[in-house]
Amino acid sequence: MLKLAGAMLVLVSGTLIGFRQAARYADRTAQIRDLLHALQRLETEIGFGHTPLPEALGRAATGAAEPVAAIFIRTAERLRADGASVRDALRAAVAEVWPRTAMREPERAALTRLGDALGISDREDQIRHLRLAAALLAAEEAGARDEQIRYGKMWRSLGFMAALLVVILML
Amino acid sequence: MLDGLLALLPAELAALIRALPASVLNGLEEIRVRQDRPLEIGHAGGFAYVTPAGTVTTDPAGGWRPDAGLCARLLERITNHSLYAMEEELRRGYVTVAGGHRIGLAGRTVLEGGAVRGLRDIGAFNIRIARETRGASARLLPHIADRVRRSVLSTLIVAPPQQGKTTMLRDIIRSVSYGDWPMPEARSWPARKVGVVDERSEIAACVRGVPAFDVGPRTDVLDACPKAEGMMMLLRSMSPELLAVDEIGRPEDAEAIREAAHAGVPVIATAHANDLEDARGRTTIRRLIDEGAFAAVVELRRRGADIAFRVVRPGPAAREPTRKAGGAGAC
Repeated sequence: MLKLAGAMLVLVSGTLIGFRQAARYADRTAQIRDLLHALQRLETEIGFGHTPLPEALGRAATGAAEPVAAIFIRTAERLRADGASVRDALRAAVAEVWPRTAMREPERAALTRLGDALGISDREDQIRHLRLAAALLAAEEAGARDEQIRYGKMWRSLGFMAALLVVILML
Repeated sequence: MLDGLLALLPAELAALIRALPASVLNGLEEIRVRQDRPLEIGHAGGFAYVTPAGTVTTDPAGGWRPDAGLCARLLERITNHSLYAMEEELRRGYVTVAGGHRIGLAGRTVLEGGAVRGLRDIGAFNIRIARETRGASARLLPHIADRVRRSVLSTLIVAPPQQGKTTMLRDIIRSVSYGDWPMPEARSWPARKVGVVDERSEIAACVRGVPAFDVGPRTDVLDACPKAEGMMMLLRSMSPELLAVDEIGRPEDAEAIREAAHAGVPVIATAHANDLEDARGRTTIRRLIDEGAFAAVVELRRRGADIAFRVVRPGPAAREPTRKAGGAGAC
């Protein structure tokens, strides 16, 4: 009886670990898409609205889900509070929020590179930088979706299978 | 007043300015930041360089030199991290920040079809500190008062830069709007509605549409609006009894001033010029003066901390002798 309960526990946790790993792939795709949408909104605010950056960042965040929205909100807060440069404010916000996201290094690099140019040139140049960042992220999103399909399914079954193997060995 | 400005500057620059002796700080007029060259300040009509210790010197070699990083941060902060939203300002060459301080910029111009489209590689800043001097116009007002209509005459104020044109104009607006007439015979004159077209945001220093300077309770301000259009808009919409504008000179400005004259609304305007003769050298202004659009022309001169003025009645009227404003009229 006790053995059965233990086996069940191993099976359930193995399956959960597998599902969690698979979910990380799905999260990454969704977050990159969120980020892309936020950048699009930012492009509209900068290109057509002439909205000052702290406000534009706030508006870009309203359409995005957590944790992507937090990156923009934190950046805007820092700009308002201590007048840090956009470069430093965005870097600090990314460093703070990144552990909560499922995104990886290429997305982070694209975002920080954008931060180096944001707010310090004319409109056309801003739009160019935003589009470049969007193009990089779109490429990452395609890759992430591929991975999600391939490894997502694998992790879901792998978790259960591995747990089953452990149970068989224990018995 | 200075605190708001210093909060906008990068920390090390603000710390240096704060460390200056109080006597210098009180008379501070300009802070000139040039990349890799000594930091200069203009105070009480003179100039000096600021040393890294926060003292003043006349030796350029002893001055503290701001680097490229500081200039980049300064630019970012005065443009609210939004250079892209400042295209009009960059085309004109200056940014007006909260508090009405105007920051002139110099760098490499960007041309489009032969016309200046903006600036890039900005390496020089001239931070002009705006000061509100109540009572600056107390001595001038009796000379430009319209005793028949119990208001003020159409007046053109001419002076070179930094002689107190905007300070004087702002105080005239404030006095007229409060009905704060300095002449004993004008005690019963009513306060007048004043319309201000503040193209450079220097007169009223509006922050989101609300004037930061006291321009009086009956004053309406069109902020950052082109003068000619703004004057017409105010005439149509706000029924002003006095119009005030800064630095006229374009042909369309003259058209709007004529329109105001037809509507019976006096206009107080300022123009960059050394004196009346110099102002006559500019076609638009000469025409306006010859047409009699201005009943009075005032020339301003800084005398130490005071503003001295001379009122000229263009046309057959004789010139009045130079008068000196009192200590209360300090700029």
